[in-house]
Amino acid sequence: MMILRLRAYIALIVLVALFAVLSPSFLTTGNLIILTKQVAINAILGIGMTFVILGGGIDLSVGSIVGLCGMVAGWLIADGLVLPMFGIAIFFKVWIVMLLTALVGVGVGVVNGLLVTRFSVTPFIATLGTLYVARGAALLMSGGATFPDLAGHPSLKNTGFPTLGAGSALGLPYPIWVMVVLAAVSAFVARKTPFGRQVYAIGGNEKAAALAGVRVPRVKLLTYVISGFCAAVVGLIITSQLVAAHPATGGSFELNAIAVVVLGGTSLTGGRGTIGGTIIGAFVIGVLFNGMVLLGVSEFWQTVIKGAVIVVAVIVDQLQQRMQQAALAKTPT
Amino acid sequence: MSIARTIRIPAALVVAAPLLASCKGGEGKSGAAANAAGPAPIAIITPSPSNVFFKSESDAAAARAKELGYEPLVLSHDDDAAKQDQLVDLAISRGAKAIILDNAGADASVAAVRKAKNAGIPTFLIDREINATGVATAQIVSNNYQCATIGAQEFVRLMGEKGKYVELVGKESDTNAQVRSQAYNEVLGQYPKLVQVAKQSANWNQTEAFEKMETLLQAHPDVTGVISGNDTMAKGAAAALKAAGKHVVVVGLDGSPEAIEAIKAGEMDATVLQPAVQMARSAVDQAQSYIKSGKTDHPEKQALDCELVTKDNANQFGVFARKGAA
Repeated sequence: MMILRLRAYIALIVLVALFAVLSPSFLTTGNLIILTKQVAINAILGIGMTFVILGGGIDLSVGSIVGLCGMVAGWLIADGLVLPMFGIAIFFKVWIVMLLTALVGVGVGVVNGLLVTRFSVTPFIATLGTLYVARGAALLMSGGATFPDLAGHPSLKNTGFPTLGAGSALGLPYPIWVMVVLAAVSAFVARKTPFGRQVYAIGGNEKAAALAGVRVPRVKLLTYVISGFCAAVVGLIITSQLVAAHPATGGSFELNAIAVVVLGGTSLTGGRGTIGGTIIGAFVIGVLFNGMVLLGVSEFWQTVIKGAVIVVAVIVDQLQQRMQQAALAKTPT
Repeated sequence: MSIARTIRIPAALVVAAPLLASCKGGEGKSGAAANAAGPAPIAIITPSPSNVFFKSESDAAAARAKELGYEPLVLSHDDDAAKQDQLVDLAISRGAKAIILDNAGADASVAAVRKAKNAGIPTFLIDREINATGVATAQIVSNNYQCATIGAQEFVRLMGEKGKYVELVGKESDTNAQVRSQAYNEVLGQYPKLVQVAKQSANWNQTEAFEKMETLLQAHPDVTGVISGNDTMAKGAAAALKAAGKHVVVVGLDGSPEAIEAIKAGEMDATVLQPAVQMARSAVDQAQSYIKSGKTDHPEKQALDCELVTKDNANQFGVFARKGAA
């Protein structure tokens, strides 16, 4: 039981030990920092996804939100907010650009939430729809082209965007700090706040939660808003790292996010799981990716192995649930 | 309930109709009727225009078709052979005089091209070949082997014939990725002091190339060059190198506008320009000739050479063509 509950940690430790033996450059400070920075992408998406899945939903639109928000940021920096009726373009300072971009992510989250709660569209279909709409919108923004060179211009006072992706504090790149802060806040929210407990309650038994007075639609909507916000943050980080915004960015990220959530032990049916588990899940995928690249494993094998790890994790998950049920059944009442 | 069900589809149409009406920005505006007196349609089917390469060839073909008095019917198959098949059906039913096609797979596309041929519509393939001859009227592609060879030769020169380098390969299931990698390795393999320390696929993708380059720099901090199967991956690698404060030789392939800008800015060193615009225009010209006279005066298989772009001549190139050529 105990061993199964710790499976993500064990998988992580085994992988780290394995790659440490096989590649001399794996356990170096530089590599671990790069690795963690890359983990931040999946981890941040996974944090948002964890809330949605805990509440019994799913958010397939996050990859497209990453692409759309990256394009919004790129557009605001490269072209400014163009107001054709006045014939002017307004250029914002970088922090305002980031704020507006985050609002776009939140906006898509609100749409997802309303589709699910107000219009009773199943989460899978609702977010599948926004997946396409957001991706199409991203392509429309530039006619498919890239916004290159987002360094900003001193005369427009909008320089500094690349700092988010390339800068660091106390030796750790900013994306890592963003992950740490978001993870800490989210873990607190999930465990200690009424909202967090209500999400678990809804995922466990929605009807019971509603009867107990939980405002189910509002709580559910908020989970999609959190997911949209997290996706916007990732869009900003990636765009900043590449110093360019491409509309196809973030394709199939939603599947990575779901994978790390599931690897972290969150049940796809909702009600069970933790933010900490998701972070560990993101590290499992990140360590796998990093180690296999260092070892020169071919792309095909990388894909096969990643898939196998996810499936094995879910098999173990099922096993664990069955054992729990068996244990409960034996308990004398 | 049953009322709700019966109104559902009409309701969807009511929503879709104004949307569609307001979105007719593309070139594929439908004419009044299929075989009305208006200009005869030519179908132009390419992969997703989200890639500037495909957008350029699609735009160039549409512009040329218009010049020659045809109505361009611009469509995208998104690299989905099933969707491509439907689009070919659409072109047949619209009475297209010819199909200009950048296909969705060398084997998977043969049946669709044959179907068009049986319906009396000639197909002119651009950019990618199919694994059959005598089905398409022309197959106009860039000579990937020659393109990669001149890129690799420039890479050798820039590296001074020595040093450690990384190769980024495109999607490994794609023939073009294999041909380019093979040509790279044939050229680079002749220089014993040029050592390939890593070869990784980044699936033509910028973000993936960024992450892989970051990781590879950990294992091989002493690399002095990166050669990439396309410009998108080269740009991703260049961003990672810049973030790591490293200045090494970066060579891509395609000649995308972003890569040419990067070369001017000194972030990349060279790329190889594929004549996408020339291929597309030539295909339309040959279609015109075939429609008028029943022949094209060209062999079916035509390979166009690429041109090397470096800092010295970067100013001479526009979007997938020499400036002023199109």
